Amino acid sequence: MTAGLENIRIALGALHANWFRAVLTALGVVIGVGSLIAVSAVSAGAQRQVADSIRRLGANVILVDGEFISIGSAQSATDRTLTPSDAGAIAKLPAVVAVAPQQDMESLTISAGRYRTVTHLFGVTEAYANIYNQVASRGRLISASDVSFGRSVMVLGRIPAASLFPGKDPIGRTIRVGSHEFQVIGVQARKGKLGGENLDNRIFVPLPLVLRVLLGGTATKSIGVRVRAEADIRPTIDRIGVLLRRQHNLPPSYADDFSIEDQAAFVKEAQTASTTFRLLTFALGGIALLVGGIGIMNMMLVSVHERTREIGIRKSVGADPLRIQLQFLIEALVLSTLGGIAGVVGGIGATRLIGSFAGWQTLVSPRSVVLAFIVSVAVGLFFGYYPARRAARLDPIAALRYE
Amino acid sequence: MADLTETPVLQLEDVTKLYRAGDVVVEALRGVSFAVGEGEYVAITGESGSGKTTLLGILGCLDRPTSGSYRLVGTEMSSLTESHRARVRGQRIGFVFQAYNLLPRATAYKNVELPLVYAGLGARERRPRVLDALAAVGLADRANHHPNQLSGGQQQRVGIARALVAQPSVVLADEPTGNLDSASAEDVLEILDRLHDEGRTIVVVTHSRDVARRASRILKVHDGLLVGDDALEPAA
Repeated sequence: MTAGLENIRIALGALHANWFRAVLTALGVVIGVGSLIAVSAVSAGAQRQVADSIRRLGANVILVDGEFISIGSAQSATDRTLTPSDAGAIAKLPAVVAVAPQQDMESLTISAGRYRTVTHLFGVTEAYANIYNQVASRGRLISASDVSFGRSVMVLGRIPAASLFPGKDPIGRTIRVGSHEFQVIGVQARKGKLGGENLDNRIFVPLPLVLRVLLGGTATKSIGVRVRAEADIRPTIDRIGVLLRRQHNLPPSYADDFSIEDQAAFVKEAQTASTTFRLLTFALGGIALLVGGIGIMNMMLVSVHERTREIGIRKSVGADPLRIQLQFLIEALVLSTLGGIAGVVGGIGATRLIGSFAGWQTLVSPRSVVLAFIVSVAVGLFFGYYPARRAARLDPIAALRYE
Repeated sequence: MADLTETPVLQLEDVTKLYRAGDVVVEALRGVSFAVGEGEYVAITGESGSGKTTLLGILGCLDRPTSGSYRLVGTEMSSLTESHRARVRGQRIGFVFQAYNLLPRATAYKNVELPLVYAGLGARERRPRVLDALAAVGLADRANHHPNQLSGGQQQRVGIARALVAQPSVVLADEPTGNLDSASAEDVLEILDRLHDEGRTIVVVTHSRDVARRASRILKVHDGLLVGDDALEPAA
């Protein structure tokens, strides 16, 4: 115990004597640990953001997509295979809580007065809000009567609301889509981004209007289906598949004219993507630590060389090889551990900076701090071992004569 | 002469040492035997290249003989492990070097304390012994000075204090006055005389007649062999 303290004191003395060199050497570990902390905080934040987005989008939701109807080898541009009666049949399946048929039109230009913007239009029913956790920040959402009466009303996402009515209350104003006019009844509360899409750049109108006025036809593009629990997703997907084949009178040899996907699959995809990103950035941090470790090894070798005579003196007054080895190992450990502590502090600081400048959500987990710390200690042990062993094996006579 | 009824402090029997430098084998010691009894003050003399430095290395357990036997207070040293020999160096042998060999960043106190640190003594046990050793060489008031704040003579006296602090069986001095002016050299030699009077066993390796004359016995080494062993009358 006292021997350990003595060694730490000797190590601190030796590092203090060459403090500038020590600081430069430790910088490698500082950067390595700091980047590990920052990177894991940013990616943990991103992962949480994805999870939040999923929650906002709606959990336990199955999306049934109809394919374009083929006529011979040609495809209809607008007609899909899913019908209102499909939606009604799905609603009767067990475990299904709500069904929301929907149609969407991407990259649609809409205008209000002299302002125009490109957005993503959704034709929805009143069930949409329930399935996708949609909330109005002002006004109201699409109601059952809007749908049944086919009213020309519209709910705006935050982005089109801001770009069409800068600084003004959009409620009650008119928006033009093609030749048709809609009255704004509400603004959707903030949803954030999901994958590449900003969920706030969307507008919503009653489904019948899209079908009748904008696109024509009666089929819907897709049906959102909410089930009771996550465990219901898989069996419900199977049941919907069987149901729709029967509904569409598909012979066994025909392929499905629809596709069914679990929104959780999208979550998993997003999580896999962020795991890949995380592994990559961890690898980069690892490389920085490796370089830092090599720096420590280099400095320790120089230090052993410079202090050959000191080693000889210590051996002549009774230091056995193990003590010498321990002394230099502890010196490397002290160096890498101080570097690790500085790296943790710097990494947390960098995380805060990144968070406030880039506006990303970040999350410094205690686990990553502990891990980074352990890794920096391990780097000191690993890269200090060889120089320390070299010191321990010096021939005392040659070391004493060394100039 | 040593009283051979007692176990000698140092006993060499037919010690040889070969150095291999590439294909060339150098015989530094070619069969040396002698014994040093307790309380003797022995000077080992010889020209450079005679083998006296090699001999000192073996006596100090810094080096191992190629063949032959070396006993320190009856214990065979040539077969001990490196860490065991390190312990022997710290506890049974006190070195005094020509170039002092103090740690430059440590105070006189810390330098003298070093053998006791490696012997595993606690700080509280070490303190009185370190202060005693410094007082014995007249440097009680220089305990907190660093080597670069001390004269050569003072540094060598710190070196002697370090050699004494662990109460070793033998003090081995390698040209202890080689780097000193005559006044400082005299100080150091007087301290060695006094240690001899106190009954300590001292071995000095030197090529200086003036230093060798202070000893009670002179061993002459030439070409790796012991060529003379003379007892001296105590200097007047």
